[in-house]
Amino acid sequence: MALLQISEPGQTPEPHQRKRAVGIDLGTTNSLVATVRSGTAEALPAEDGRVILPSAVRYLEDGVEVGYGARAAAGGDPYNTLISIKRFMGRGLADIKHFGEQLPYNFAADTAGMPSIETVAGAVNPVQVSAEILKVLAQRGAESLGGPLDGAVITVPAYFDEAQRQATKDAAKLAGLKVLRLLNEPTAAAVAYGLDKAEEGGDVADKTIAVYDLGGGTFDISILRLSKGVFEVLATGGDSALGGDDFDRAVAEWIAVEAGLGTDLDAATQRKLLDIACAAKEALAAETSVPMAYDHWSGALTRDGLAELIDPLIGKTLRACKRALRDAGLDTADVEEVVLVGGSTRTLRVREKVQEFFGREPHADIDPDQVVAIGAAIQADVLVGNKSREDLLLLDVIPLSLGIETMGGLTEKLIHRNTTIPVAKAQEFTTFKDGQTAMAIHVVQGERELVKDCRSLARFELRGIPPMVAGAAHIRVTFQVDADGLLAVSAVEKSSGVAAEITVKPSYGLEDSDITRMLQDSYANAEEDIAARALREAQVEAERTLEAMLVALQEDGAELLDERELGELERAMEALRLAHNGGTPEEIRNRIDALNTLSEPYAARRMDKSIKRAMQGHSLDEFDKP
Amino acid sequence: MKLQQNHFEIFGLPQTYEVDRQVLTKRYRELQQEFHPDRFAAKSEREQMLSMQYAAQINEANNTLKDPVARAQYLLQLAGIEIHPEQTTADGEFLMQQMILRERLEDVRDAGDPEAELEELGSDADELFRAQEQAFSASLGNQALDAASAALLKMQFLAKLRRQIDALEEELLD
Repeated sequence: MALLQISEPGQTPEPHQRKRAVGIDLGTTNSLVATVRSGTAEALPAEDGRVILPSAVRYLEDGVEVGYGARAAAGGDPYNTLISIKRFMGRGLADIKHFGEQLPYNFAADTAGMPSIETVAGAVNPVQVSAEILKVLAQRGAESLGGPLDGAVITVPAYFDEAQRQATKDAAKLAGLKVLRLLNEPTAAAVAYGLDKAEEGGDVADKTIAVYDLGGGTFDISILRLSKGVFEVLATGGDSALGGDDFDRAVAEWIAVEAGLGTDLDAATQRKLLDIACAAKEALAAETSVPMAYDHWSGALTRDGLAELIDPLIGKTLRACKRALRDAGLDTADVEEVVLVGGSTRTLRVREKVQEFFGREPHADIDPDQVVAIGAAIQADVLVGNKSREDLLLLDVIPLSLGIETMGGLTEKLIHRNTTIPVAKAQEFTTFKDGQTAMAIHVVQGERELVKDCRSLARFELRGIPPMVAGAAHIRVTFQVDADGLLAVSAVEKSSGVAAEITVKPSYGLEDSDITRMLQDSYANAEEDIAARALREAQVEAERTLEAMLVALQEDGAELLDERELGELERAMEALRLAHNGGTPEEIRNRIDALNTLSEPYAARRMDKSIKRAMQGHSLDEFDKP
Repeated sequence: MKLQQNHFEIFGLPQTYEVDRQVLTKRYRELQQEFHPDRFAAKSEREQMLSMQYAAQINEANNTLKDPVARAQYLLQLAGIEIHPEQTTADGEFLMQQMILRERLEDVRDAGDPEAELEELGSDADELFRAQEQAFSASLGNQALDAASAALLKMQFLAKLRRQIDALEEELLD
């Protein structure tokens, strides 16, 4: 076990060296990367100056194209151009068929239960496609910051379940990114506006925040509660098929009627009308009336005219807001801050109606396309260690309950929704047959009673249970959910202390071996030296471990260790140093493990000491004062 | 590995039923500031794993201590008594009272003003719960563990009733 480097508040143990960290908004339609420079967070542009990267990936026989070029090709090369892939993350083929729309892709189920899409470059899955988008953004970040990235915060929708979060993290791994944290999109938006910060001279107040996110094709509403430093998602809602594109459609239909074009329009005419509609919609942000022309027709669209066309659509979003508030047990009057996210909130009518609904002016100063990436960048800057620790601590909750399947297809909830993460829950199981040495555990996520109504996450198979009579073996299974909302399971037979061997079969995801294989494939394609990378990774881990140990020993090695222990540790450190300087990755890993095992008692003593210290200096009556 | 301390010791709180929620919350945040995995996001994998275990334990301790029933169960557990969450009381008079309360709950839908009736039922249940809390606290203080166990069983009953009242309230709102 390694040592935790606990530093004094306000101090950074490392010499001050800025780390390269970015925040990434991996969106359904568009993606962005942002970073903090000279104290300010900003979205990073591509060479052409545009910050938005359309989330479109086109597979060619000899390569991959990501962004504007790919999106433009979607019409001409639909089978090889993948758009809105985010909707398929962590989903099975059956789920996608349920989306009930005509998708041009050639789907096949792959071994991992994930959809696999046939392209001219071979079959690809949603994780690989997302990784291509992330690679472009990571590259942009590295070029802009002048070197390889130390880490990234990637945003996900608040309602994403474990499988969807895991798929996002897997995509980052494939793209070669170190994920500092998966952050909820609405939380990132709130962070961008500094809503987590304390009021002038006071403590952080309890606040209820509504994040209204209207993109091109999706609408999300999230109700957040910020209380005592905990960001809690109270409720989420929305419409996955409603966005600014629908505004354009409404305006285009109006033009068609006004110009007497009839209803049976060819694709090219439709496209032309949509472009005119979109341009007019955007121009109305600055003008009160814009002239329009198509063919022999000319006319004008006023703000009032636009309002009339899109009010029914905005009304739909507000009804979703009402539902979300009711789910949260709140009223519009309880909402203290409203944040606007998504390009379609630029439409003035949307702002007016949102303001009217909540009865307060929404935050809209930050570019609504960039606000999520900017919040992620601010959090990345803190997590990577560039900013002092006081600034920000986001405690997240698990969005959906985790449970296991019990007799009769029923769900037994182990970890309830809205529990603060990380969290661990242990459950005891026993054998029901004499000599039984294996058992299976089915983990599901959701709020419903029946397993079939929840989402299947994974099946865990325990093996190596010592043979005993039925009911004698007590297997303690620990379900651990980390700060990103990802699940890990471990098991031990209590009477014998034997750790059961666990095989995980994600229901719609990748196994570790799949990722390793895909990584190898992608390295082969990029002609990168996989061995060199493995060695470098092991060396970095060795450096981190040695540094942590050195700092710890300087601090309290003499106090907490006797001479023999100290000598053993120093020898193990020297062995690791030697391995670091000339060993293979395996040798380095082995030495790290050896040092970690040896330092376990020391780690425990340090931890107890620092807990005592954290509690020191507090007398009971100190807290009585308001 | 585990923290050596029990949930009360982690927060430096006296091992009693009465817990100052403000102190608990303040110390909870101080500890998470120190041990949350976000503080180790740029550190070694082992440090990250260890910090996750500690943060999980701090969360568990906080969740246990801030919930009245879980806290009472935990205090008895520390005294060597395991009370199952579904275990029922054998107190006939109490059971009779419970039956009446449950009948009132079932009749709420048909009442002239369901919301007002539900509100009244809720405040009655809360009052009974507070009385059992006091009984639990006093008994535990006197080391009368049997009496404390009996009070906890009633608290569990009343907490369950409270959840059903809340669920019905949500239903009525729709």
